[in-house]
Amino acid sequence: MKILLATGAMLLGAGLAQAQEITIVREVDSNNYDPHKTTSRAASEVLFMIGDTLVSLAPDMLTVEPGLAESWEVSEDGTLYTFKLREDVQFCDGKPMTAEDVVYSVERWIDPDTSSPVAWRAGDVESVTATDDYTVEYKLSAPFSELLYQLTQSFGTIVDQANVEALGDDFGVTGFNGTGPFCWVEWTPRDKMIIERHDAYTWGAPFHDNQGPASMERITWQIVPEENTRTVAVLTGQSEISQYVPYIALEQLKGAPNVEVVQSDLAFWTYFMGFKIDKETVSDPAVRRAINLAVNQEAMAEDLFFGVVQPAYSYVSQEALDWDASLDDTLLKFDPEEANRILDEAGWARGDDGVRAKDGVRLAPTAYVFAGSGWAKLSEAVQAYLREIGVDMQIQAFDATVAWGKLATQEFDMFGMSYPYVSSGDALNLYFRSENMPTPNRMNWNDARTDELLLAGATAITDETRADSYAQVLKIVHDAALWLPLYHEPMVIAQSTELETVTPHNIYGAGLYKGLDLKFAE
Amino acid sequence: MMTQVANRLLVSIPVLFGVLLLGFFLLILVPGDPAIVLAGPMATPEIVDAIRADMGLDRPVLIQFASYLGRVLQGDLGRSLISNKTVVSELAAAIGPTAELMLACLIWSIPLGIAMGTLAAVHRGRLIDRIIMAISVAGVSLPIFFICLILIQLVGVHWQLLPFIGRGGPLWTLEGLRHVALPALSLGAIFIGPVARMTRSSVLEVLKLDHVRTARAKGLSERRVILRHGLRNALIPVVTLVGLQAGYLLGGAVVTESIFSYPGLGRLAVGAILSSDFPLAQGAILILALAFILINMIVDILYALLDPRVQA
Repeated sequence: MKILLATGAMLLGAGLAQAQEITIVREVDSNNYDPHKTTSRAASEVLFMIGDTLVSLAPDMLTVEPGLAESWEVSEDGTLYTFKLREDVQFCDGKPMTAEDVVYSVERWIDPDTSSPVAWRAGDVESVTATDDYTVEYKLSAPFSELLYQLTQSFGTIVDQANVEALGDDFGVTGFNGTGPFCWVEWTPRDKMIIERHDAYTWGAPFHDNQGPASMERITWQIVPEENTRTVAVLTGQSEISQYVPYIALEQLKGAPNVEVVQSDLAFWTYFMGFKIDKETVSDPAVRRAINLAVNQEAMAEDLFFGVVQPAYSYVSQEALDWDASLDDTLLKFDPEEANRILDEAGWARGDDGVRAKDGVRLAPTAYVFAGSGWAKLSEAVQAYLREIGVDMQIQAFDATVAWGKLATQEFDMFGMSYPYVSSGDALNLYFRSENMPTPNRMNWNDARTDELLLAGATAITDETRADSYAQVLKIVHDAALWLPLYHEPMVIAQSTELETVTPHNIYGAGLYKGLDLKFAE
Repeated sequence: MMTQVANRLLVSIPVLFGVLLLGFFLLILVPGDPAIVLAGPMATPEIVDAIRADMGLDRPVLIQFASYLGRVLQGDLGRSLISNKTVVSELAAAIGPTAELMLACLIWSIPLGIAMGTLAAVHRGRLIDRIIMAISVAGVSLPIFFICLILIQLVGVHWQLLPFIGRGGPLWTLEGLRHVALPALSLGAIFIGPVARMTRSSVLEVLKLDHVRTARAKGLSERRVILRHGLRNALIPVVTLVGLQAGYLLGGAVVTESIFSYPGLGRLAVGAILSSDFPLAQGAILILALAFILINMIVDILYALLDPRVQA
C-alpha cells in the first residue's frame, strides 16, 4: 500500500513538475537555415541557438568575447588572425569540432559556387589554414577592422562538412548539425522550427550567466503572421516569449500580471529615408537640409510608436561603436522656420498652391516605400510635415516582393528603408561606398574622399585610426544631409513572468541570441 | 453513373491545363523577382543575377512554361524556391490539416444549418423564424476575420478554454481536436447562414407541393411529413449550395488559417505568393483547382443519389 502511495505521489509530482519547454512566436519564417545562403533575421534567430561562431558579441554590442575560439591574436599589419580554438567543443552528433571545420566553413562561405549574399562579410580572405587541430590562421589580403564583429554574426556559424555534403541542397532545410546550445529537430516551413537542448554544451561565451547546457529542453519557434494573435498568445501563456508584439499592445502587456516587458535601447536597427542626390529636386543640399529640419521625429516617435522607439537624428545609433560624440550637437533637429528660411534663400518660392518651385520645377519628390502599416504611417507623417514647408512629397508603396527590385532602379527621388548593423563602420561601408551603387548605395553618393576614408577605416590596424576615419565619414555624410533619419528601433521583448527576466541582445535583431538565459523562474 | 464520372474526369483535363497556364502566367506577370527576395537587401546586382541564373529565371518565359508542363506531367511539381523542399511534399503536408479543418467545419455547420433552416420554415413568420434568420444574416454579413478575432478574444483569452495557435496533431487526438475547434467554429459560422436560408426557402417550397399534401392527407405525423417527404426533397438545392460554398470555404480557410497560424493549404498558398515562391504557388493553385473539380464531382454524384431523375 505504501509503495502504491509513494508511486502515486511520484507520478503526481512528475506530472506537476514544469516541462522545460517554451514556444516563441514570431512573424515570419526564413527561406532556409543555411548560414551562408540567407540574410533573414528569422534565420539568424535560430542559427545563433543551433550553431556557434568563432567569437561572440556581448550584450553591450561593443565587446567581442570568446566563442569557439578561446583566444586570438592579430598580426601587426592587421592581415593575419590566429584563432586558438577550444578543445572541448562537439557537434550535436557527438563529433568533436576541430580547426578543419572552421577552415571548411569559411571556405564555403566565400566560395563563388555558394553564391553567398554575405560573402563580403568575411573580408578579403587570402587563405584560411589549420596549423594544428585547434589553431586556425585567417589570412586577409588587406586588413579588415570589422572582421571580428562580422565573425560574431550568424553568417560566420561553423558548419560540419560531412553534414553539408550529405544533405546537399537540403542542408539547413531538412537538417543542420551545429555546435550550438540547441540541436535541430524539425522544421516545417512557414509553420514551426523545433530545436532541443544540446546536453553536451558547456562552451557558452563568458558574458552569459549560464555557459551551458541550456535550461530549456525544447524550444518551438512558431510562426504566427497575425500580430493580434501573437499578442494574445503571450497574454494567455500560449507563448512564453516574443519580440514580435506590436507597439500598440505594449501598454496592455505591461499591465498584465503574467507578462513582463523588457527593453534595450542598444538596438542597432535604424529607419530612414534616403535621397537620390542626382535627381532634380533633392540634388540641392538646401532641400535636403530643409527636409531634415521640417520633420519632428520626437512627435512621430510619440504619436506613431507610443514613445517606444527612439527618435533618430543620426544615421547610426549614437550608442554604436565609432559614433563620434562631437557630432551630437550638429545633428539636424525639428526647426520648420529655419527650413522655410533655407528654402527661401535657395530660391525655392511658394506657388499659388503652397508648393515651392524653382526654374519651373515643382518641389514634389517621389518617395518609394514598402507597403504595410509601418511605412504607411511613417511616410504619411513625413508627407504632412513636408507639406508645411511647401514640399509636396509623393508616396508610392510597393509590396516587399516588388520593392527590392523597384529600389534598385533610378526612378525615385527618395526611398524608405531600415537596416541592422553592428557598428558605424558596418553601416557606412554598406551604404556610402561608391562601388555599392545603385544598391544598397541608392543615394548615388559618389565621393572619392568618402571612399578613401571608408577604406582607411576598414583597413585600419588600430582602433584610433578606424574610429577617426569613420568619424570623418560620419561628418561628411551628415553634413551633406544624404538621409532623413527617422527612428532607432529598440529591442522589446514580452515575456511570461514564469521565466526569469531575459537580457535582450541586439545582434542582427535576434533578441534572444543563444537562448542560454531562457529559464523558468524557481 | 460511371460514364458520368468518366465524362467529368475527361472534362477536367482541359480545365486543369487552363489552370496551369493561367497560374503560370499570372505569377510571371505579377511584379516581383524571387532572386532579389532570396538575395536580400545587401546583395549586389551580380549576386542577384547569379541566383536568377541558378533558378532558371533568366530563360524565356515559354521555355520555362514548357519545361514546367513537362515536369508536371511526370508528377514533378518542382522544388520550393524558398525552402528547397519538393512542392509535392509541402503540399502533402498541408492538405491533411486543411482537409481536417474542412471536415471539422462541415460536420457541425451543415447539420446545424439544415436544422435551423427547417425549424425556421416550419415556424415561418413566428419569433423563432425571425431569430434564426437574424443569426444567419449575421453569419453571412460578418467578415470571417472578425468572427475569428471575437472567438479568440472570448474563448481563447477571456475564458481561456481553447488554444488558438497552430495545429495540435491529428484530428482524432484530444490536442488535435482542441486546436482545430476555434478555426472550425469560425469557418463554420460563415457557412451556417447560407445553408439555413437555402434550407428554409427550399423546405417552404416543397411543403406546398402535392405529395406533401397527400402525405398529410394520409394522416402521417407532421414530423414524418417534414423529415421524410419534405426535407429529403428540399435538400437538393442545399447540396448544390454546399458545393458552391465549398469554394468560399477554401477562401475563408486562407484567412482563418492565417489568423490561427494553422498550417494548411490556404496559408501555404498565401505564403508562397507573398514570397514569390513560383513553383510552390503554382502547386498550391493546382491543388486548389483540383479540390474545386473534385467537390463539384461529388456534388454531381450526390445529386444523382438524391434525385433519381438526374441519372436518366
